[in-house]
Amino acid sequence: MKLRRVLAFTKRALFQFRHDKRTFAFILAVPLLMILIFGYTFSGEVHNLTVIFMSEDSGLNNTTFPFFPQKEINLSAGILKNLDRDVLNINVENVFEKAKSRVENREAWAFIYIPENFTRDFVAALIGSGNGSKLTVYLDGSNPTITGAVFSALSEAVKKSIEEIASQNVTQNFLSVERNYIYGSEDTKFIDYFAPGVMSFAVMMVTTILTIILFVNERRNGTLQRIAATPARAEELVLGYALAFGIICLLQSCVIMLTGVLLFGITIQGNVVLAFAVFFIIGIGHQGLGILLSAGAKNELQAIQFIPFIIFPSVLLSGIFWPVESIPSVLQPLAYLVPLKYGIDAERSIMVRGLGFGDVWIEICILLAFAAITIAGSTILLRRKE
Amino acid sequence: MEPVIKAEEVSKHFGSFVALNAVSFSVAPGEVYGLLGPNGAGKTTLVKILNGIMKPTAGKAYVLGKDVATGKNREKVGYMPQETALYLDNTVHENLLLFGEIYGLDKGTILKREKELLDFINLSKWKNSMVANLSGGMRHRLSLACALMHEPEILFLDEPTVGVDPELRVSFWEYFYKLRKKGTTILLTTHYMDEAERCTMVGLMRNGKLIAEGKPDKLRTEIGVNTLEEVFLHYARGMEK
Repeated sequence: MKLRRVLAFTKRALFQFRHDKRTFAFILAVPLLMILIFGYTFSGEVHNLTVIFMSEDSGLNNTTFPFFPQKEINLSAGILKNLDRDVLNINVENVFEKAKSRVENREAWAFIYIPENFTRDFVAALIGSGNGSKLTVYLDGSNPTITGAVFSALSEAVKKSIEEIASQNVTQNFLSVERNYIYGSEDTKFIDYFAPGVMSFAVMMVTTILTIILFVNERRNGTLQRIAATPARAEELVLGYALAFGIICLLQSCVIMLTGVLLFGITIQGNVVLAFAVFFIIGIGHQGLGILLSAGAKNELQAIQFIPFIIFPSVLLSGIFWPVESIPSVLQPLAYLVPLKYGIDAERSIMVRGLGFGDVWIEICILLAFAAITIAGSTILLRRKE
Repeated sequence: MEPVIKAEEVSKHFGSFVALNAVSFSVAPGEVYGLLGPNGAGKTTLVKILNGIMKPTAGKAYVLGKDVATGKNREKVGYMPQETALYLDNTVHENLLLFGEIYGLDKGTILKREKELLDFINLSKWKNSMVANLSGGMRHRLSLACALMHEPEILFLDEPTVGVDPELRVSFWEYFYKLRKKGTTILLTTHYMDEAERCTMVGLMRNGKLIAEGKPDKLRTEIGVNTLEEVFLHYARGMEK
């Protein structure tokens, strides 16, 4: 082995990067991007979960009980005060129906309802009368991680509140929490929540990347130009490929869905046809994106460089793992620019919450608009002549 | 007779590089017109403009009386690009099928044309092979077949015989004459002098300009030389002066 020859190859490779400044920039930018995004978003915990709080409890004027040193005691006010504001974003409401509808409309993950005489019933039970007090939590239980976080914050707050008003240890047994699932159930597993996200992500990734590479190849082979000399129109080509990719997406979704159901026992609450329709729209939209991006790449090597720029925002900002409100608020507006977010939101509502078209039409419209824009854009791009 | 292909003062600039400089010429129906010139003379650029896949910087091009910018008459034109331009990850049959369908041929016609063309290009045995597995020469033949599927009135062939073995070249030319008899007009580019001799008309190109045009024998006798090569050198030197 001759060192000189080894170095000759080293030099050749380095020269290549000197000619291809873009690839060199890519090598530097990707790890930077990764560390920034992961560092900011992936703390492994959920934050800032919107929770509605409503109390009809008016506390108790205390004069008789020795173990409560304060004159005025109000357990519900204590709970409200002690709920962890880092985990929960508390919105106080005064109208029961309105508060509950905010969970139904997926604006909030939970609604904590404290009824009248909450403090009084608790105190009464302590001195041996009645069954104690009860608070009710109306839940969007589609994400078990979030359900867990809400309840751990709540039980922490309850415990602290009782400690604050009591001078000695008093039992919590007289305070019960009722769970009322609006979406999901106690049986909802993380995989149920996770599966629609992963399926949407897989559809998006495969179509985008395959289309970029396919079109870079077509440009290089000259087939694209050859087709331009035929009576075939750019929109025919784009829609033809969109249909092909749509079908591939459907096959892909079938495989993942079957695997999920058979292997992991996920349950699909809503309409499967609607779920497939959404996958199809995600697919054709990203196929258009792939064609648009392919224009920016001269060869396969440059095409591959787009991949991290597509994958990372989607993985981190579209809500596959954690809800968008848990991302730092600086990055949140970016999440709304990631089309996949709407795909995942819609699929989750259909597959986990069992909602129908009437509840996800906004997401579907956004996805359709995205598909229309990318397909129109790629048609214009392909029509453009040298 | 009305020309079927016409270029009027066609120029093409790529930045400061002038690929075509005010080229005007026309091709009468039934001609086999050869654009002859070295690499970089502007032949391919001219063919791409006549095909409507490249926009001229100035000037206009017409095919069958229609401005090519309108995209009309495309169904009457066949084009074989210089690069093979085939779908490598599809079979021979799938490529021919695609072009047949693009030109609106019905299933029966596609199968009939496919059989005729595969017999002609000697690829019948390879019908279901992936194009990626074919040799360069085979791909070239298939590329020609794709351009011929819909029996076009006008045929643009960009370097059709590059990399084709001599035997097949002869059969290509026999086929071109057969097409001509049926009324097809052919415009081809070449840098082979002997091939230009077989054309009914030639246009000599150099540095983006058409420097001479005429029937091969007439061009030779006019300046009293024996080969087109000498004709080319004669005009090239004249251009330099």
